[in-house]
Amino acid sequence: MIIFYIWPLVGIWKISVTEPTAGIENYTRMFDSNAVTTSFIITFRIAAITTIGCLVLGYVVAYVISNFARRVKPLMVALVLLPFWVSVLIRSFSWIVLLGRSGLVNDTLRDAGLIDAPLKLMHNEFGVILAMIHVMLPFAVLPMMANMRGISGSYVDAARGLGASEWTAFRQVYFPQTLPGVFSGALLVFVLSLGFYITPALLGGGRVLMISEYITYQIQEFLNWGLGSALSVALLVMTALVILVAARFVNLRSALLERK
Amino acid sequence: MTDFNDTTDHEVKADLIEIAAYKYKEGLLTRRGFLSAMAALGVLPALGSKAMAQANEIIVVNWGGKASEVLQEVMCDTYTKETGIPVTVDGSGPSGGKIRAMVESGAVVWDVCDSGMGTALILTEQGVIQPINYDIVDKSKVLEQSIYSHGVGNYIYSYVLATNPRMLGGNVPQSWEDVWNVKDFPGMRTFRKSVRGMLESATMAQGVAPEEVYDVLSTQDGIDAAIDKFRQLRENIIVWGSGSASQNLFLQEEVAMGNIWSTRAHLLKDQMEEGSFQVSFDGGVLAPGVWVVPKDNPAGSDEAMKFIAHAQDPELQVQWLEMIGCGPANPEAADMVPPELQKWNPSSPENLAKQIFYNDEWYAKNQVAAEEAYVDALIN
Repeated sequence: MIIFYIWPLVGIWKISVTEPTAGIENYTRMFDSNAVTTSFIITFRIAAITTIGCLVLGYVVAYVISNFARRVKPLMVALVLLPFWVSVLIRSFSWIVLLGRSGLVNDTLRDAGLIDAPLKLMHNEFGVILAMIHVMLPFAVLPMMANMRGISGSYVDAARGLGASEWTAFRQVYFPQTLPGVFSGALLVFVLSLGFYITPALLGGGRVLMISEYITYQIQEFLNWGLGSALSVALLVMTALVILVAARFVNLRSALLERK
Repeated sequence: MTDFNDTTDHEVKADLIEIAAYKYKEGLLTRRGFLSAMAALGVLPALGSKAMAQANEIIVVNWGGKASEVLQEVMCDTYTKETGIPVTVDGSGPSGGKIRAMVESGAVVWDVCDSGMGTALILTEQGVIQPINYDIVDKSKVLEQSIYSHGVGNYIYSYVLATNPRMLGGNVPQSWEDVWNVKDFPGMRTFRKSVRGMLESATMAQGVAPEEVYDVLSTQDGIDAAIDKFRQLRENIIVWGSGSASQNLFLQEEVAMGNIWSTRAHLLKDQMEEGSFQVSFDGGVLAPGVWVVPKDNPAGSDEAMKFIAHAQDPELQVQWLEMIGCGPANPEAADMVPPELQKWNPSSPENLAKQIFYNDEWYAKNQVAAEEAYVDALIN
């Protein structure tokens, strides 16, 4: 861990304060730059929307799998897991095939006579978020499913027996018990989304520039290692902050590590 | 990491190799054609970068390629036949930093390097490359804009306006001004994910004459105005990061027009349906590739110069245009270009007259700041 993780990390910290000149110049430049600020805002906005999307969809999926799917349960779990094993690159390319100007969606809609001109489905934030929700969904479903598996149905039955409506029983009895799963799913998706690179690079068209793409840009295009490293340090610190803040609300150990 | 700004565009060179490898794989290029194209490019097979130059052997360095063994076989044969001297290619990429490190450490293994004007200027200042010997290299066989004391042009490419007339209903933009006219020419546009070759078109779109572009861009107001043009057009822009990406955007009809490399336009003309692809060199930005020779090169100065002179052969350069789309640096070659290819040749006299040359000094001074403003204009 020290050799393969901590040491290179220290190296990055070092580059960020030594290149091109020693000092915190890279950091002041970073905070002065409009482009960097916007990129951070875009990153956090997309991560947040992706997280919300994943939670809403994922909750429904996890709920259905845990409570209703009896015989088809293995199949449904497989359907969640299968895309998880396909490379992110391939999944993002599939979205290009689907969302393109002459992609499957636009062609179908046009053939059905619903639209005259192709819709702009990608090379914008919509396309990026759609594809990112698709990529991140398993990370939301799995912790929530693990959590729901541990919830005994007898509590809901008891609530129903005491006269609660189905909705009240869900809202007041079942839902609070699933919160640890929801939080750990949210945290996983959000943190992973912050560092996302491939999907926005492919589907963003250059206008949805997330911070990790911007780092690549600095390092590969301009050989600007100093600023690139400073940006990655900033991203790391912000991610750590998110986790710290989350730790105040969720018991991270039980949410992420213990599986019932 | 180098401690100076290298503004030369190495990506286009790597991109050329990609194009050639693609054509060869698709069977569009015969082995012989591929090799002569590579020969003109100065791309010879990589025998491994550690191969030390032997006496009477020339090591030519470029930006890498796949069919290296094949190249070795034919190019060396051709050259050896003429001169008796074997030639080996090292595809490890002669970046300015590497050349400098090699010369300063006294372990020079390279003889001739495919570089760019910007790098050549920096390397000259640092005193690590030799002056070109114009007694051996023929000045009349190369475009004057690519003649420099310590470097000489090997090929020409440019940034051009490519359009898909079919997507525009036949109403084709004629100038950069038209490209910014979203009302009459609807559709997405593509520009490079870097200011190189792009700010020039934004400046011309303001009605600035091509020859005055860099004068206007030499002021902060000029740069700001160009950046602002991109801000206005933002909703209609999809950027390309690599040559192949620019090609895909046209093939998938994602964009109706854009500013792309002439080398990729050359491929697209064969791939797009009849009538759905056009290129205008009006307001294009030309950039030469440049040969440089490191100081104390093992084969000796004269041998390196003789090789450069050999690569000036107009016939080789025409083949190279046919195969990869690189414009001949030798003006003589223009007349030998087959008629149907004339209009696609970035360095034909008609096309030269419509374009300006890439200004490396401007980029050395302004690129870093301009890049950041450009990103900001696209996303903010």
